[in-house]
Amino acid sequence: MALDTSIPVLVVDDYKTMIRIIRNLLKQLGFEDVDEAADGTEALGKMKERRYGLVISDWNMEPMTGYELLKQVRSDSSLSKTPFIMVTAESKTENVIAAKKAGVNNYIVKPFNAPTLKSKIEAVFGD
Amino acid sequence: MSDMSSEHVAKVIDFLRNGRKTEDVSLDDVMRLAELMAESFQSFFKTMDLAIYSELGEMAREISNMKEELALLRLSDMRDEHIPTAGRELDAIVEATEEATNTIMSAAEEIMAADAQDVGAYQTLVSDKVIDIFQACSFQDITGQRISKVVSTLNALDKRITTLVEKLKILRITDVAVDETAAEKRARELMLHGPQFSGEGVSQDDIDAFF
Repeated sequence: MALDTSIPVLVVDDYKTMIRIIRNLLKQLGFEDVDEAADGTEALGKMKERRYGLVISDWNMEPMTGYELLKQVRSDSSLSKTPFIMVTAESKTENVIAAKKAGVNNYIVKPFNAPTLKSKIEAVFGD
Repeated sequence: MSDMSSEHVAKVIDFLRNGRKTEDVSLDDVMRLAELMAESFQSFFKTMDLAIYSELGEMAREISNMKEELALLRLSDMRDEHIPTAGRELDAIVEATEEATNTIMSAAEEIMAADAQDVGAYQTLVSDKVIDIFQACSFQDITGQRISKVVSTLNALDKRITTLVEKLKILRITDVAVDETAAEKRARELMLHGPQFSGEGVSQDDIDAFF
């Protein structure tokens, strides 16, 4: 089954360059509807206004981290089913386990490339 | 002290013995007794004063020596010059890498968005943008030099702190529990996060296997 690239994607990162990189990689993969947020609080606000088909979030942000955003999303019945990928430099075992327990769908360690991003998105959607 | 004390004690004993022979103890007798006792204690305190004075003198000399040694470490240079300079170097590194990244990404985005149908124009654009990318990569040389300066400062700081610890004769430093606000605790915990060094943390393959 081909990847549905028409879904709206929300990229959450406090580093504008990283948002730009992910946006360009997504564009290369065919995703055109890409929105962005600078931290978990802004992302949660946007998610309550619009239904996203995928969230790609960094971990280390202020005031709300990606991990806290993930927990908020999973505890909100209207958002809990949203696919969530963590893209972060946090590669400590305990972080990966914590994210998995909190319900993350996949976990990408920075730096990464387009094929890695593609394969993780495909894994999330079961392709 | 012992001679004086014995003498005074003997006087007091004599006085008490004489007192017993009198029918009443007069105010003068009491005053005399008090005077004798004060004399006894005076010699005791005089000796104690000398010991304390000697201790304080020793401490003053230690403090003076310490001040001289601290001055030799030129810690104020670190505080006023080296550390602020290192901070400015790091800010400049962040700025330079950000600028270079933006230049490279803009060039790549322009190439991606260009129309390849017009081969001549496309080749010229790609050639120009590749030159832009090469030029932007020159940031590595400058940031490399800046990073070397910061590393030198950190090494100097490490050396001086080590010397200070040795001078202060601190054999073992124990962390002291500090009251911190929720915001300070969060800032400290966030500071502990970030990229791991090569070989530390788990690899993407390990994570994939876990998922």
